[in-house]
Parts: sequence; C-alpha cells; structure tokens
Amino acid sequence: MKKKPSLLERTRAYGFLLPCILIFAIFLFYPFFKTIFLSLYKTNKMGQAKLFVGIGNYMDLLTSSSFYNSLKVTLIFVVIVVVGSMAIGLLGAVLCNKAFPGIRAFSTAYALPMAIASSSAAMIFKIILHPSVGILNKLTGLNINWVSDPKYALVCVAILTAWLNSGINFLYFSAGLGNIDESIYERASVDGASPIQQFFHLTLPGLSPIMFYTLVVNIIQAFQSFGQVKILTQGGPGESTNLIVYSIYRDAFFNYRFGSAAAQSVILFVIVMILTLVMFKIEKKGVKY
Amino acid sequence: MKKKVISAILAAALATGVIAGSAVSALAADADLNGTTIEFWHSMGGVNGEAMDYLVQKFNSENEYGITVNAQYQGEYDDTINKLKSAQIGNMGADLVQIYDIGTRFMIDSGWIVPMQDLIDNDGYDVSKIEPNIAAYYTVDSRLYSMPFNSSTPILYYNKDMFTAAGVAEAPTSLAGIADVAEALTGNGGAGEAISLGIYGWFFEQLLAKQGLQYVDNGNGREEAATKVVFDENGGALNILNQWKTLYDAGYAPNVGRGGDSGLTDFAAGKSAMTLGSTASLKQILKDVNGKFEVGTAYFPSVTDADQGGVSIGGASLWALNNEDAAKQAATWKFVEFLVSAESQAYWNAQTGYFPVTTDAHEEQIFKDNIAEYPQFQTAIDQLHDSAPEYAGALMSVFPEARQIVETNIENMLNGVSTPEESVAAMAKDINASIEDYNLLNE
Amino acid sequence: MEAIHNTAGAVNLKSQAELDALHRVMNAKAKRKKNIRTGGLLAANIVVAIIILLPLLYAVSVALMPSSELFTMDLNVLPKQPTLENFKNALENVPLLKFVLNSFVVAGIITIGQIITCSMAAFAFAFLDFKGKNVIFMLVMATMMIPGEATIISNYLTVSSWGWLDTYQVLIVPYLTSAMGIFLFRQFYMSFPISLYESAKLDGCGNIKFILKILMPLTKSAIGAMAVYTFINAWNMYMWPLLVTGSEAKRTVQIGISMLNSVDAQSITLMIAGVVIIIVPSISIFIVGQKQLIKGMFSGAVKG
Repeated sequence: MKKKPSLLERTRAYGFLLPCILIFAIFLFYPFFKTIFLSLYKTNKMGQAKLFVGIGNYMDLLTSSSFYNSLKVTLIFVVIVVVGSMAIGLLGAVLCNKAFPGIRAFSTAYALPMAIASSSAAMIFKIILHPSVGILNKLTGLNINWVSDPKYALVCVAILTAWLNSGINFLYFSAGLGNIDESIYERASVDGASPIQQFFHLTLPGLSPIMFYTLVVNIIQAFQSFGQVKILTQGGPGESTNLIVYSIYRDAFFNYRFGSAAAQSVILFVIVMILTLVMFKIEKKGVKY
Repeated sequence: MKKKVISAILAAALATGVIAGSAVSALAADADLNGTTIEFWHSMGGVNGEAMDYLVQKFNSENEYGITVNAQYQGEYDDTINKLKSAQIGNMGADLVQIYDIGTRFMIDSGWIVPMQDLIDNDGYDVSKIEPNIAAYYTVDSRLYSMPFNSSTPILYYNKDMFTAAGVAEAPTSLAGIADVAEALTGNGGAGEAISLGIYGWFFEQLLAKQGLQYVDNGNGREEAATKVVFDENGGALNILNQWKTLYDAGYAPNVGRGGDSGLTDFAAGKSAMTLGSTASLKQILKDVNGKFEVGTAYFPSVTDADQGGVSIGGASLWALNNEDAAKQAATWKFVEFLVSAESQAYWNAQTGYFPVTTDAHEEQIFKDNIAEYPQFQTAIDQLHDSAPEYAGALMSVFPEARQIVETNIENMLNGVSTPEESVAAMAKDINASIEDYNLLNE
Repeated sequence: MEAIHNTAGAVNLKSQAELDALHRVMNAKAKRKKNIRTGGLLAANIVVAIIILLPLLYAVSVALMPSSELFTMDLNVLPKQPTLENFKNALENVPLLKFVLNSFVVAGIITIGQIITCSMAAFAFAFLDFKGKNVIFMLVMATMMIPGEATIISNYLTVSSWGWLDTYQVLIVPYLTSAMGIFLFRQFYMSFPISLYESAKLDGCGNIKFILKILMPLTKSAIGAMAVYTFINAWNMYMWPLLVTGSEAKRTVQIGISMLNSVDAQSITLMIAGVVIIIVPSISIFIVGQKQLIKGMFSGAVKG
C-alpha cells in the first residue's frame, strides 16, 4: 500500500476482473444503456423508439398518482420483506449455531424456502390464503379475504416474500456465525454475560460484515420481486400491490409502453443506487472487518 | 415514412402474390410438400396440451404429403404473444401460432401474417362449415383473419341441489334475477353466497354484449381501429357496475378476487350457489365437485331481463405467419385444415370442452357420446347458436391493458374506493388515454 | 476483564480440596444446565422449523389430494384418500424428467462458473490495489439494481444475432457471473487481515494459488451458501429460458410447471404436484451441499 502499484500488478487486477466485466458489459450495461435511451422516447408496439419526448416519460411518471402509489407500496413492501426475512433467517441461524442432535435436519428446514420459485410459492399461498377453501381461515376461524382486501393483500405478498427469502438469509447468517471466534463467547460466559447480552454485544457486531451484505442484497432483491404479485394479486386489489417492477413488467410486455417501462426502470435503478450508496457510507462507520 | 412506403409495396405485392400464389401453392400442394417442416407455437398446457399433442402426432403420422409439424408450447397466452414480438424483431419465427382473442387486433395490424382467408380461398375450403358466431369474432372486412381453434363462451354454473332446496325452479337469466333468488338460496338453499362472481374483464365485456351495446367506437373496433371507448356514453358500463354493486352490497356476490377462475373455487367447494365460468371449465368443475352436488348450466346472465343481446366467444385462434415460403404456407394450411376437420374437432371438443368450431363435427360419434355424457354442454352449444354475429365483441389493440383497467376499477368500486360512476369514468379515461397513445405511435 | 480477575483472585484463596468439590458440583450443574439448554434449543427449533415448513408440508398434502378434496368447506389438512394420481399425471403430461436433467446441467455449470469468476473478481477487489477500484466496484454493484425486465428483450436480440437460440450456452453464458457473488466473497475476504496475503506472497505464493489454496478453503461456507443460492436461482429461471429456447430438448423445469396449466380448466392439485416434483431435486442438492456447508460453518476456520 505504501508505494504505487506497478503496471504489471494493475494489469493483473484488471485481468481478474475481466470475465465478470465482459459479461456485465454485454448482458447488463449495454441493454441498460439502450433502456436509458428508450426512456427518452415513446415506443411503438414493438418496443422500438418512435417519438422523442426527452424527459417526457419521466415527467408523466412524476406527475402520476399511480406511480407514486407504486413507489409507496414498493417501499412498504421492501421494509416488511427485509425486516421479516432477515429476522427469520437470523432466528434460524442462532438456533442452529450450537451443535445438537438433529441440527442437520433443522438447518435444512430453515434453508428450504429458497428452493421454491416465487411463482410456485405464490401458487401454494394462493390456496392457503383462499377465503373459503384456504387452510388459514379454516384453522384460525377467521373470515378474511386475504388477497382481495386492500388492507391485507400487500402484507400477504410481503410475508410470502419474506418467507421465500429467509432461506438464503439463514445460510448467510450461519456462515457468518461460523466465522465468529467461539472463544469470545467462552470468555463472556465466564464474565457472566447473559445470552441476550452476548447476542447484542458479541454476535451482532461479529456478524456485521455479513449483516451488511445481507441487508444490501435483501433490499435490492426485495425491490425486484414480482413473480408472486403476478400470480397472487396481479397488482390488485385496486393498485394496492402494484409494485414498481410489476408495473414495469405490465408496461413493457402488455401495455405497449416500453418507453414508460424504461423510464420506470431508470427511476427504480436510481432509487436503489442511492439507497445502496447511503448504506455503503454507513458501512464505513458501522461495520468492523 | 420510408417504412410506410415499403410496407405499402409489400402489401401490394402480397395482394397480387395471393393470386399468383394460389397457382404456386396448388402446384406445390402435393408434390413439393414432401419433407416440409412447419413450426407451430401454442399455449396449450395440461389436458389441452395432451389433446394438442395427440392431434399433432396424428397429423404427422397420417398426412399423405410428408409434412412434419413441430409443435412447441411457448408459455401461456401472454408469453406466446410476447415471445412472438421478440422473435419477429429477430426474424426467428413460427409458421403457425396460436394467439388469444384479445390479441386479434394486434395480429391483424402486425403485418406479419397471411390472412387465413387467403389460404382458404386458395384451397377453396368451404368456410360456411365454421360456426358463424365463432367465425364472426375473427372476421374483419368480411375476411377471416385467423382460424378459430379453441373457442368458448362463458356460462352460468349452478348448484342444482341448492336450487331444489331453496325451491327455485329455474336458473336466473340476469344479474337482477340473481338478486331476486339470492335470499332463498342463502336461506333454505344453504348457500354461503348466492354467486361467486370473479372480477374478470371478459365477464364485463360479455355483460356489455348481452345488453347489445358496444365497447369501443368504429363499429366496436371492427370497421376501423377504435379511437375511444363508448361504454361510458351508451350507459352499458354503468348498468353493469350498478347491478354488480347491488349484488355486492347485499352480500349476494362477495369479492372472490380477480381472474376468470377465481369464482370457481367457491362453487366447487359448495359455498356459492352459482358462478360464471368458461364452457371449457365444465369438465374440471365436475371433477372438482366430484358428485358432491349436481351441477347445472344455464345461459350467461344479462344485466336485466329486458336486455337484448348475445354472448361473444373467447379463447384463441390460429394465425398463419408470412414467412414467404409457398411450400410452408401450403403445409400450414394442410395442418390447419386437419385441425378443423370434423373428426379432429370432435376429438378436441371431447377432450377439452372447447366448442367444435365446425358444425359437421356434431355428426361425429365421439361428439354425440360426449354430449350424452356431459349433457350440461348442450347449454353452451345452444347459447352459441342463440347469439348472433353482431355481438361478436370488440377488437382493440390495447385490450390486455383495458381488461386490467376494468378489473382494477371494479375492485375499487367493491372496496368502496370509488362509486360506480367514478369507476366508469376512470375506466374510460384510462383506456382512452392508452388507445390514443397507441394510435399515435402505431399508425 | 475486571470481573475475571476478581473471581480468579477469590478462587485462589480457597483450598485445593474445596476447589475440587466445587469443580465437581459446577460440572454437574453445567451438565444439567447444558442438557436443559439443549432441550430448550431443540424445542425452539422444532417450533420454528414447523412454522417455516408449514406451507411446504401443506403443498405436499394438497398434491396427494384428489381435487374434490381440496375444494371443500370442511377442514382438509391431510388428504382423506391420498392418491398419487396427480404425480402420475404430472409426469405423464410433461417430460418433467428431461427438463430436470436440462436444469441440472444448466444450473450446475452456472454455479461452477460463478464461483470461479466471482472469486477472481472479489480477490481483486479485496487484496489488489488498482486505479478505479471503487468506481468499478460500484459499477458491479449497480448491475444488481437493473431490473431484469429492462434488459431481457435487448439480450434476446443480442443472442439471436449470434445464432445462439435454443442452445445450452444461451441459458448459461449470461449468468456466468453475479454481482451478489462478488460482493459476498469480497465481504468475507475483507474480514481477513491483509497480512495474510502479504505473507503468502512473501512465501512465493502466486495470486491464483492464493485464491485456490488459501481463500477458497477459508470461505467454504460462503462458497457453499452462494453455490446453493446460485444453483436454485438458475433452477428457478422462467422468462429467459422461455424466450430463448424453442424446443422441449432445451427446456427447463419452470416451463414444465407452466405446461401443466391448462387455460380454462386449471387443475390446482396437478400443478402443486408438479411444484413438489421439481422442488425435490433442488432440496436434494441442498442436502448434499449442506454437509459441506455445516462443516464450513463449524470449522471456525476464520477469526472474525
């Protein structure tokens, strides 16, 4: 770090990055630049640029109450999903941190939700949540129209997503816990620290690098969920579950408004980018490597 | 502009090509078709997919021309049309593709297709064999643009046991009539709700057709591309929504969710006394009910009993794509002709519950056996024959979006977010805006 | 720290005999305490695991029901007359096994590819110093934020212009790297002291050898987690395979599920049976990979 890296060293670094950068460039950056370009146009039914409108698509969105509604429900959705999935994942990981009989079976159970595709999960939940034949109402004796009532629909979709994402979070947290030195717990026990104190003063700080990773990835992914919306609610009732990505999907593939879909993609991208940058700023303070 | 000129030239070339082409195809017909392979994209999964595979295999092994059909499932209706869009930009397409009803206007305007009528005229096929009320949907400017294949209408399914217990002799024929018998059904009938009415754009369209009213202007989008909706001006939409809300407010028709099959679950579970559903759902409903009660079928209800109108069909049809290959085109026609033959259609009907699109299929034994086994299906046939081509329904390029807008606003009304009047106004405003945009960008 | 010294001081005052006795008592206590703890842990695990598994168990139950049993107002947690009919129909209706094989090949190669490319890139980000490192890292991160819907059509045109449609590589190549993987490995690598790299270099260990012999073994658990995740994500792809493959020979499992859906006559029990069938291979992959995962997790290889 003292002296400037030599030319050879730098080239080597780029060499290590090359395969990734190449794939990103072809399959993500290039199409995304095209998307940015298209967001300045109104498109025809084939999704080709037809009429230059400058920031017209953006202005339309920023003056549309339906778009603000999408933003709002997306944010609520993301918060529920991220908090829920990380809490479930962490709970599982902590429960499976110490060796005990059957740990394998349990850790398999905690990771299992991730084995299911979002559309399949939505299909399963569609039956579970059905107001008259669904098992949830039958078992609880409630009579709630889970996915057709705007009060519950978003929460249902969010909880389903939290459940789906909890599996991978469990794995991340388990991996993170495995990297915490056992001996600090032993010392703390001798010190008389209660398990709860240990959790907050040792476990959580020890997990902070992976916690940070999990948080960032979860937020980004939560913003992109849509398979479950497509099957469970189709954005309804009303527009109460019209997440931005679902709205992009509709506009791009059904509503012949690729330009608007592109503009929404760019806005979504910017929002997530800003959030991520903020998180990285905070990381510098909060995360101990 | 340049594109426009080219497409005009192409269209002209095509028009003349049809006449010249007929000679070519006729020559190509028997001798040169040997070894021709055509790509067929469809959206038939499940039992429908099995029946489709059977028909394709039958054609491949039995056709005397040496044609091979390569049939590939390309996802659900929505997926297929999207895939076709991408594929056509990349010039990698199919020869024959199955597209849903609401994609009809898009396909006509796409410039990728050969109107089915051209192939029919080439061959001298007798088009009158096709059910007129089915053909009407796909006929524009007196030309049949695509070959109807899996067609259905919605009907009213009712729980006969509940009707008997409630002392209701006849199935209601209108939404207003449903309200009249609802108390009896939920009382003595023992129903949890009178009707499970799914929020589905198709039902809204049918209720409009049953009033004999139009959805969009320019002859329901059939004389020329539609420029705006008319269901707000002609009062049709408000009639529907008011009646729907009456049923909902009284608790007769609770919100069972979005989509064509959303009402079926409550019905099969024995909760609702009635539901609306596609004729093609009959067999699955009977399977789900499995003898728990007797299933009756009746005509799709109108809004009030005074209405004079009919039903239109839904489902999908087969589109021949223009790949400028006379042999493939001829082969495509041979395959289509096979699919709509009496024998194939009778088989298709028996397996799937879609209408036989040709009347001569009614003479087949397999059809007769099927209707003897499922007498409820007779209702569907009668309803189809009682309708008329003038109720064929609207054509509109932005139909997929329009349906979503309609559904969203019905939901808003049921959830008390808006009044029926506001909902109709919002539907009209949103759909008009999207039609306007589309017309502006796709002249 | 203070507390430890105090207790230690107090203990020192006691005689050896007293100390031994105390030790025994403490041991027994500790053992009992440990048993209670293990019991409690087990109980907590059982409760949580059941809640998490409930939707899946119910799906299995539904898949075993004739459809008439699902559509009822009565309580129907378990099938009254369990049947394998749905599974049989699902397998007969769609060449699911062939799709499973395709998905295995595709997901497997993607997983291995991602481990390689992501380790390389993460290594560069964590240990090497070069111009534009932060900018490039943010660019990599940015790829995660691009909605897939915004790129899919353009990517279709790209691959079709290469004549790649309906091949295995078209399903694989675009997914050979992932920002998530790079980011994950970077997070782990950054928790290693830089001296690890410097001393390895002094010992004459080359970069590639460093990755293979030191980093990878140390981050087994992270690799495991990512591998499982990548595999399953690839397993669950739907839109892209549907768009770029045109024949059953190259189709993947999720398309198989949608092939079970007949428009207008949807059989829910049949579709759920299909879902259960295709979850089985991905669960088995997990169980196999998990041995490795758990080992990594408990080896305590790296100090935080």
